[in-house]
Amino acid sequence: MQLYDAATIIRSKNAGPFAVTVDLFFDAETYPLARSSTLLTPAGVAAAYGVTEDQVKGVWWDDRIHAAKVSVVRWSSSTDPFCADLFGAHLHTPLAQAELV
Amino acid sequence: MTDPVRILGFVNHIAPSPDIEEAIDRAFAWGVDVIVAQGTGSDWGPYWLGSGDQPSANQAANVEPYVRAALRHGVPFVFSFGIAGGDPHLDTCLAAFDELCRRNGWAPRVGVIRSEIAPETLSAAVTDGPPVLPASTDAGLATPLTAADVAEAERIVALIGPEPVMAALDQGVDGVITGRALDIGLFMALPMLRGLPTAIAAHAGKMLECGGLALEPGDSGRCIWASLDDTGFTVRSPHVGAAPSARSLVSHTFYERSHPTWEENPGGALDLSRATYAERDRGHGTEVRCEGAVWHEAPYTVLMEGARREGFRAVSLLGVREPALLAQARSWTDAAERAVAEAPRFADAVREGRLRLQTRIFGLDAVLGDLEPNPAITGHEAGVLVDVVADTEELAKEAAYYAFIRLFIGPYPGRKTTAGNAAAPLMPVVVPVADVFSFSIYHLLPLEDPVAPFPTTVVTFPRATTPIREEVSADAAV
Repeated sequence: MQLYDAATIIRSKNAGPFAVTVDLFFDAETYPLARSSTLLTPAGVAAAYGVTEDQVKGVWWDDRIHAAKVSVVRWSSSTDPFCADLFGAHLHTPLAQAELV
Repeated sequence: MTDPVRILGFVNHIAPSPDIEEAIDRAFAWGVDVIVAQGTGSDWGPYWLGSGDQPSANQAANVEPYVRAALRHGVPFVFSFGIAGGDPHLDTCLAAFDELCRRNGWAPRVGVIRSEIAPETLSAAVTDGPPVLPASTDAGLATPLTAADVAEAERIVALIGPEPVMAALDQGVDGVITGRALDIGLFMALPMLRGLPTAIAAHAGKMLECGGLALEPGDSGRCIWASLDDTGFTVRSPHVGAAPSARSLVSHTFYERSHPTWEENPGGALDLSRATYAERDRGHGTEVRCEGAVWHEAPYTVLMEGARREGFRAVSLLGVREPALLAQARSWTDAAERAVAEAPRFADAVREGRLRLQTRIFGLDAVLGDLEPNPAITGHEAGVLVDVVADTEELAKEAAYYAFIRLFIGPYPGRKTTAGNAAAPLMPVVVPVADVFSFSIYHLLPLEDPVAPFPTTVVTFPRATTPIREEVSADAAV
């Protein structure tokens, strides 16, 4: 199953001009699957984005609302004249299309 | 026991929802001590800061129902204006605010706080003061800031904290309007002035700063209400059909922030790792009680944003519907890029970095670039954006036109469409866009006094307009 199909909400946005943050929300059934996945770890996130692990600012969990937060340093930010996604609103895609394993 | 402080929050660069008057009335029936809205941000990128321009958000029109209510009930409003929040942005908004007041017959006394930092002030700080360091290591920016960085910047603003707003409110004004400001600081000002804990003021600010976006369903065209006291705050929705929930509020603490529970601010960090959110049924709607925020004191710094000009952008657009070309779109655009790079007329500019060109194929990988897993166009049509950044408008336009022509008539293997390779949707075929800027400054300026660099000017709106004197030249009567 792709992460996109497992999440009920998957939203990405700039967190300041130089980082992107992806908020993931799950239902009670899929949350444990996400929580124990190797995809949603610093190493898994780095692989999905093709960056080194030190560029992953963190992966956090909130068990109360079945949510995860992933933050990554932007490889091309709004400060790059050729930035293709100024708000970072589509930067969830590489993560969303990865298999939730 | 400090009296509660009740805040009505919204976002002033978003047009209000159709039921806004009714929602404001409902909030005032509960009680409101201040109306707060943010209208600045760097999410829109550095262009606005550098150019002095702003998105056509009509912030003055958006605040109209709120200002009417504030003046009627005699409670202050606090707004940041102008997106990038420099002087030209603020002045555009203040002129619109003049007009709003004139049209309604209002005469509010407003404390105006400017956020732009004069280059000489910052240069002096860089030279004489403690090091001015980047706000984050993510940025890959000069560390520490140098006088040259300051000189190169087109415009520099600071995100003013709550203290200058507190100082303005302390003067008994009808409202406060600022340029670039820390969003939560606008919300923190009155509660802190009334003696409520900083942690609670900051936590509430975080919940209210995007207006109704923190409600369920989220909509930043709606407003949101909270009552703050010594131990926490309670959030309600003034709108029928929207309500706060523990889930919606916790989700909102995630919004547009790297870390879910830790945020560094001027003078301290807000720690929500032990925050609690308890839903309570009021009989006619839910309210959520929020407690447990912690504030960790730190040396006082303000974040500065500065924009440097990188060149001028010109673009051209082509539509591709030809199957033979869709199958080899990338090699076709690569050939056009090469043609520009190798043309003698552009050689010097390309070599010196004064001319950069990209062709982006929408329908292939324009959004994700190298991260796009699809190696080929899978649809029946695609768009090609020729995107040029050069040091002058003329050069940018010339290179974009050159690329367009190569794309339009350039041969490719198996071509049958020898009168033209693509559809041209735009005339002029090359569109001059605007100057291009980068964030060259994203640094923290240490301040001993958070208020001194950002004094309040109290002005009664609408301001008197200066009549334009007719210039008569000396020889006009000859």
